[in-house]
Amino acid sequence: MATTTASGSLRTYLVTRLVLVIPMVWVLITLVFFVMRVIGDPISAALGGRLPPDQIAIRKHNAGLDRPILSQYWDYLTGVVHGDFGTALTDNQRISHVLWVKGAATLELSFWALLVALIIGIPLGRLAARYRDRLPDVGLRLFAVLAYAMPVFFLGLLLKLLFAIKLGWLPASGRASTNVELAIQNVSPKTNIYIIDAILYGDTSYVVDVLKHAVLPAVALGLLVGGGFLRLVRVNLLQTLRADYVEAARARGVPERRVVRAHAFRNALIPVVTVMGLQIAALLGGAVLTEETFEWQGIGYTLAQYLVARDFIAVQGIVTAIAVIVAIFSFLIDVVAAVVDPRVRY
Amino acid sequence: MLITDRRSRHVLAVCAAAAVLAGSLAACGAGKKDSGSSSSGSGGSSGGKPITIGTTDKVVALDPAGSYDNGSLMLETQVYQYLMAIPPGGKTPQPDAAESCSFTQPTEYTCKMKAGLKFSNGDPLTAKDVAFTFTRIVKINDPNGPASLLANMVSATASDDSTVVFKLKNGDDQTWAQILGTSAGPIVDSKVFPADKLLADDKVIGSGQYKLGSYSKNTLVQLQANPNYAGAFKAKTADVTLKYYTQASNLKLDIQSGAIDVAWRSLTSTDVDSLRKVSGVKVDTGPGGEMRYIVFNFKTMPGGTDAQKRAVRRAMAYSVDRQSISDKVYKGTYTPAYSMIPDGLPGHTDAFKDEFGASPDKAKAATELQQAGVKTPVTLNIQYALGHYGPSSDQEYNEVKRQLEGTGLFKVNLQSTEWDTYTKERVADAYPIYQLGWFPDFPDADNYFAPFLANNNFAHAHYCDADANGKPTGTNRPCEKDGVLPLLTVEETKTGAARTDALTQVQKTLASGQLPYLPLLQGQQVAIARSNVSGVQDTLDISFIFRFWMLSKS
Repeated sequence: MATTTASGSLRTYLVTRLVLVIPMVWVLITLVFFVMRVIGDPISAALGGRLPPDQIAIRKHNAGLDRPILSQYWDYLTGVVHGDFGTALTDNQRISHVLWVKGAATLELSFWALLVALIIGIPLGRLAARYRDRLPDVGLRLFAVLAYAMPVFFLGLLLKLLFAIKLGWLPASGRASTNVELAIQNVSPKTNIYIIDAILYGDTSYVVDVLKHAVLPAVALGLLVGGGFLRLVRVNLLQTLRADYVEAARARGVPERRVVRAHAFRNALIPVVTVMGLQIAALLGGAVLTEETFEWQGIGYTLAQYLVARDFIAVQGIVTAIAVIVAIFSFLIDVVAAVVDPRVRY
Repeated sequence: MLITDRRSRHVLAVCAAAAVLAGSLAACGAGKKDSGSSSSGSGGSSGGKPITIGTTDKVVALDPAGSYDNGSLMLETQVYQYLMAIPPGGKTPQPDAAESCSFTQPTEYTCKMKAGLKFSNGDPLTAKDVAFTFTRIVKINDPNGPASLLANMVSATASDDSTVVFKLKNGDDQTWAQILGTSAGPIVDSKVFPADKLLADDKVIGSGQYKLGSYSKNTLVQLQANPNYAGAFKAKTADVTLKYYTQASNLKLDIQSGAIDVAWRSLTSTDVDSLRKVSGVKVDTGPGGEMRYIVFNFKTMPGGTDAQKRAVRRAMAYSVDRQSISDKVYKGTYTPAYSMIPDGLPGHTDAFKDEFGASPDKAKAATELQQAGVKTPVTLNIQYALGHYGPSSDQEYNEVKRQLEGTGLFKVNLQSTEWDTYTKERVADAYPIYQLGWFPDFPDADNYFAPFLANNNFAHAHYCDADANGKPTGTNRPCEKDGVLPLLTVEETKTGAARTDALTQVQKTLASGQLPYLPLLQGQQVAIARSNVSGVQDTLDISFIFRFWMLSKS
């Protein structure tokens, strides 16, 4: 009976969250569309000064940009629903294709960065909490502040100088060596996630090459998020360690190490799961700079290129897609949080 | 501490298991298709070790109808043939896919095709493909395309499989042969390319030395020798890979470490200078067509009368030290320019050097201003474009300011503006004196004159505006007073001594200070190569074409 109620509550929660995602995405798309139009029409922005006004007028007409704004908005909305984000003005690429190819690169980088963030943030946060206000804690708190306060491009540059140029241990840029990249372009089926493509290709040295290329960008971006995780885990663990049930465990004579590991740590991680959802947006934002620094040709790198070219159709499509991705991840994190912690359900 | 923790050991165990799984899967090779790095044949080449070239240029489109930019042209030059092209070391276009080309009427230009040419897919290349190529560029008229280069073309028709006839608006157009070798010239396969829209990059077919292997736009492009290539110049290397960079600093690091074999466009002058000291790397330079000018807006520049304005221009010409800018700012990657025609092109003279000398002359500058009754110091508001002409414009114009103010005759206010705003404000008389650069459509003197000196030209400096009635011919415009327009007509329609004389006369007029331009610098072509790569120096000629087929690696 209790189980049925719990699962029913979870189902209601998930359905409600899912339903709420739709208006959230709609608001995001609408905002992106109208903010882009405030700047002006995309064709004038991209081609102004390169074509005479009459030619620009013809192209605006052909693209339907001389129609009422609401009509354009409706077309864009229906296009997005069908996965059509338009075509870039500067290089004639379908934005959906760009998202598929470059999005995979960003997904891969975000995965590695999140892995680094978790590997750094969780154990070190736990360590800091355990040695509260002692030297390791002070050192780790300072490290955390530095990690998330340091601009990612600066950190990236430092990492490159040290590990790529001075020590020569790791490659300075790119997602793979040229021969590896050429080889895995021919893998079928191709995912554009290089680590998977390299595994599918079947050469261990290629897998190692891809991993080596991922280290520096993943650390640069992962530290940004990892610093936050470290502080969050530390604070939550400290609060949990003061909880009544933990005190009760201590009173029963349970050793402190076991108190931390078996009673406090797992509960202290629950807020981290929620914050991870928020960090997806930070990761994507940080990815723009990380990808630029390391020539990691992902969605952030591509977005920067289109921005420089003032290709606002492309920018609009990519920003919309990022907004949708963040919304989806937020939903997924809500799901995970609800499964892990029954208190967050309705 | 962590290692002794049981949970941490579990985490490590999971990670290790994942690594083993990845390794096992890799060893299985589930999706292996073929090696992308191996050549698929070398019919059009002698083989050779694969070469990787790095660049910061970008491709807009590989369909010639949709591109008119350096990045696209670099690849198109390797993949397509042209009717006419400048051979290595040459200065004028020679027949390439054509057997011969000539004017058969003043407004009719006829080309006879070579026999036996084929596209990389085996389709025969005929005059019909040529006519199709030029007609579709005009028809598609893509905003990123080269249709504007064909403004003088009325039609292109194939009278038979081996003869193509161009009808032109203006007769005896001496630049037409050059146009055939520009972005408008790559010959496409009429069976593959649609007549009214662009073809996707990875589908393009040409008849040049190379064909596309794998293609990842602006990321990595593999070129393989075209086995059907039937031209005169075979590729020395069968396999060439082009790797794209956004950051010049990463390009520099990769050529330095040997991750790539050649770095071609565009490293900063500081990077080039530092690479000169790196062992295993060589810096090759060649004449460049890229020019940098200071432009004077005739309406808004300092000076109360035309004579005073001319005196200001002449005084500035006496005051700038080009060599110093070249050495201090550009480390020799830009060299002094003493004409609007770059050094190395037929017709070039050092007109400004002859008139003003190679070194600054403060006394003569002061005399110019004094004789015209110009009060000193003259306040100069100089604008330059932020980033558009490279990261060193800031240093360049600060050096110009230092030189001008060093004479005590000028007080300089420097301002910079982002390019999009700059292009609009420049033509709206907002800038009295400003920076302008030029990269030619084709390497011919006319391409350095006509866009700047003809009616309603690109500079918008009010030198050759339409007259009061809005017509392009008047009687009192500077360009008519100084007689430049008839000279332009001569150099556009005549050959030989008549053309050379006309070019010399225009340059003399330019150096008299009559015209609104002060040439400052000429960009060098700079390529960095590993020391085991040869052929780079040979392609850095006046054609500004980077020919991959000339490169080889030992």
